[in-house]
Parts: sequence; C-alpha cells; structure tokens
Amino acid sequence: MSTDTPSTIERVTESLERPTTDRTQLLVHIGLGVSVFLMAFPILIALLVSTQEQGVINSVGDLAPGSHMVDNYQTVMTDYNFGVYLLNSFIMSIIIVVGKLAISLLAALAIVYYRFPFKNLMFMLILFTLMLPVPVRFVPLFNIVTDLGWYNSMLALTIPYLASATTVFLLRQHFLSIPESIVEQAKLDGIGPLKFLVYVLIPMSKGMLAGVSVIMFIYAWNQYLWPLVIIDSQAQQVTQVGITLLQGDIQAGELQWSIVMAGAIITLIPPLLALIAFRKPLLETFGVQQK
Amino acid sequence: MAREIYDRSWLAYLLLLPTLVVSAIFLYYPAAQAVNLSLYETLQFGTQRVWTGLGNYSYLLTSSDYHSSIVVTIAFSLIVIVGVMAISLVVSYLIYEVSVGQSSYLIAAIWPYALPPAVAGIVFFYIIHPSLGVLTQPIQAIFGVNIDWFTRGGQAFVVVTVAVIWKQIGYNVIFMIAALNNVPDALGEVADLDGVGRFQRLVRIYMPLISPTLIFLVVMNTIYAFFHTFAFIDILTQGGPGGATNIMIYDLYRNAFEFNNHGLASAQSVILFLVVGVLMYAQLRLSDKYAHYG
Repeated sequence: MSTDTPSTIERVTESLERPTTDRTQLLVHIGLGVSVFLMAFPILIALLVSTQEQGVINSVGDLAPGSHMVDNYQTVMTDYNFGVYLLNSFIMSIIIVVGKLAISLLAALAIVYYRFPFKNLMFMLILFTLMLPVPVRFVPLFNIVTDLGWYNSMLALTIPYLASATTVFLLRQHFLSIPESIVEQAKLDGIGPLKFLVYVLIPMSKGMLAGVSVIMFIYAWNQYLWPLVIIDSQAQQVTQVGITLLQGDIQAGELQWSIVMAGAIITLIPPLLALIAFRKPLLETFGVQQK
Repeated sequence: MAREIYDRSWLAYLLLLPTLVVSAIFLYYPAAQAVNLSLYETLQFGTQRVWTGLGNYSYLLTSSDYHSSIVVTIAFSLIVIVGVMAISLVVSYLIYEVSVGQSSYLIAAIWPYALPPAVAGIVFFYIIHPSLGVLTQPIQAIFGVNIDWFTRGGQAFVVVTVAVIWKQIGYNVIFMIAALNNVPDALGEVADLDGVGRFQRLVRIYMPLISPTLIFLVVMNTIYAFFHTFAFIDILTQGGPGGATNIMIYDLYRNAFEFNNHGLASAQSVILFLVVGVLMYAQLRLSDKYAHYG
C-alpha cells in the first residue's frame, strides 16, 4: 500500500497541471461501468427471471423483481433433483481438489528435492499431459472407464482427473522460490522428506495452495462434457448437466423459465463464492499484485 | 543444486508414482488407443471393428461436411481469440488506469471466470430466444434484423460466438492486469508527459511490454476455443442450423455418441490433437521471435 503514495501525488499534481485529467478519469469510470454492466447483464436477467411467478415471464418487458424467488428455488431443489445434483457436484469437486493437491504435492516434492535419474524426462512426461485434454482421448477413455465398471459412478467423475500437470508445475515453481537457507536447515536437522513436506513446505505454501485449490475447484465444478457421457442416472448426475436436463424439459413444454433460471443461479453460486472468498490467494497464484 | 537434499531414487519414484499411474492409465494409454482405434472402421453400432488403415482419415479429408466443420472451427476460433483479447485488453487497461475503485472493478470484471459454461449457455439461450428472449425485440428494433437463429446459420454463429467471448473475458483480464501491474510506473508517466494519447500508449508501450502474457493468452484462448466451448454448442445450437456452428469437437462427439462411429471419432481426435499441437508450436515459436521478454 505504501507504493500508492507517489502515484497518488503524481496524479494530484497532474490534475492541477492538466484540467482534462478529471474529465478523462470520469470517462474511464463510465467506460468501466458500462463494460462491467454488460458483463453482468445476462446473469442479472437470470436472477430477475428466477424471482418471477411461473408462466408470467413469457411476456417481454415486465422484468421487475417478482415475489416467487423462495418458491422457485425450493421447487428446483426438491422437485427437480437439484439438491442431489448439487451434492454430487460438491463431492466430485472436493475429491478432485484434494486428490490433485495430494498427489501433486508428492510429485513436486520428488521433482524439486530429490536427485534421481531421468528427472527431466519425468517432469516432461507430466507436463505433456497438458496436450491431452479429454476430447483427444475421448472414446478410449470412455471404454476404459466402462471396462473398469465405473460407468455411472463417482469414481468415473473423479479418478481420471487426479493427475494435474498445472498443479505440479505451479507447486514446483513455488517450491523453487522457497529460500535455500530453509532447505539447508532442514537438511542439517536430518528431517525426513514427508516431515519436510508436512512441517515446512505445506505451511510455507498456504496461500499458493489456497489459490490452486480455487482454480481446481472452479475447473472441476464447471466440467460438462465428461459427466454428460459417463453418467446416465439422474441420481448420480452433476449440476452442470442437470441444468441442461431442465432445458430439455422446457422444450418439451413441461417447465417454466423461472425454474430453469433458479437452477442456473444455484449452479453459479458455489464457484462464484469460491472466487470472491479466495480472490486474494487466487490473484497471487496468477501473479497479480494489487497496486 | 543445493535444493536436491534427498537422493534415494526409489523413494522419488514412489512419490511420483500416483501422478504417473493416473497419467499412464487415463491420459497416455487412451491417447495411444485413440491412434489405434482411428485405424478401424466401426460397424453395427459400435459392436464390430474392421481394420481400415487410413480409411477414416481419407474419408474425413474428402468429406465436404468435415471440410465445412474445419472452416467453421477456424473462423470461430479466430474471431473468439481476437475478440476476447481485444475486449479484455481494453477493459484491463481501463482498470489499470483508473485510480479509484480499482479492486472493485477488478472483481466485477473477473467474475465470469467462475461462471459455468453450461449456465452461460442456458442464460444466452433464454435472453436471445427468437420468440421469448428479453433481448430479441430490442435488438430487432435497433438493428432492423429479424432474429431467428434456430433456422439461420449466420445468426446462430454470432450468438454462439458472443456467448463464448463473453465467458472468457474474466480469465484474460486476470492475466492482463497481472502483466500491466508489472510494467514500471515510470514508463507510462514519461509517455504521459510527452503527450502520447491514451490509446497510443496502450498500443505502442504497454502491448509490446506485456507481449509474453499476450502470447500465453493466445495459446490458452486457442485451447479454449477448440475444446472448452463444447457446452455452448451443445446447449445453444447442437451444431446447427445446417452445420453453421458444427465445430470439430462437436462433430467428434456426435460421431462417437450419437452415431457410435468410434473409429471415425478417434481419427477426428487425432486430427484435433495434431491441429492444436501445430498451432501451439507455431504460436510459441512466434513468441520467441516477436515477444519482448523483460
């Protein structure tokens, strides 16, 4: 925050010398206000629609907040299975985040703190998986997971996602930034690798781990294609696909938009809360320092 | 290196084992299988396989439907990449330049990063629905067009593209703000005193300085456009009308799970992999040439 002072002074003197600065700052604010509004507009509409009485929103124009918000959200949670979808999404995302962190921490520990043959090759093998997103291995992956008997199960949703090149890479970068003196001290104390991980590395990486967790949570929560093909039972489905099942009902004329939008807002809330609550570690992980 | 304080190799491999096993079973093996499967023709709704060599590839290379899918994918990706980056750059620069309320604007601009694509798709489907959409009549009135993107390919393409660009702005803003904040303040201020205009400053000073980040984002946006836009297509248009939004990933999905043509779908996976691989390689090579690393 101390870096703020000179630039503020600069700006004050600037505005004294150049009366236009105030006006341009105002224009910048207007520009930002408009862009932020445009970006939020579709979701604001969704939010409004989700408060309307069923059946009334087919007439365009009256988009005042309605009084059926509680009703609609209750209906979508209980009558349209969203309680189950949400729970499944939560379980899936938590398993993916915790699993990825756990096995990536071990891998990064090996890659940074061990001397062993073919180390670079191992690291490259992990990084290369970035080039193999689900679409590239789509059909065989489906066959393997089905052969394992995992069709329609939580195992299918989570286990194939546990390896994470991104997480290993970010953790490696972070471990390399930990001062060598601390590492030397651990070596002198004769501390074992797992103790070193639990008592030194993890406490020193808290912010980083929180940031990576948010990225992974949002990524896991937003999965759509894979659950769509590997889960066929409504009881096992996740909320991303659940929302499109609602859309299907609408096209069949069995549902109202207010219910669908309630489902959409519910699906958006968990990743949005994660982003807002953990914005600081997240921005640090992405390398943003607030001015 | 002083960091390598442990040297029992078997323990290192043990630590790597979980990551390597998951990668081998669920990434490398299926990727290799995809190459293998692409050499077979699938018959009888996927129950039978017949060796066809490069048959699937020659079929794809001569299929006019697949050609149009490639053209749609390229046009779509180009517009998405350029659109996302141009809009994000302007928004990021405005946030960077503003002196009051910077962090509020930052949060307001990055939230779509958390927005699930399926939700974005549904919401767009509703707001621009030809008969029910709240935006449909205003747009018709302002631009004098008749909105019916369920039957008009060009309009469907525009709707999908706008939705896909909108969703990706937040992600780009995060990285661009990070890069802009790393530019020394003095540079902008000198240019300011020299009377260089705001827009000129962005193009001539900031863009070259943050070019490594811009190149990184071109690569990430390419992957996004090719792979992660599936939900939008599936929800909004299902590839239609008349193949106008039938991008390669959606065509692959349909061949695999609608027509059970696994061999053909696998050949499409391999082609997608090669295309994206070549694109990423080219982009990274270009970055070596043109990007200014500080």
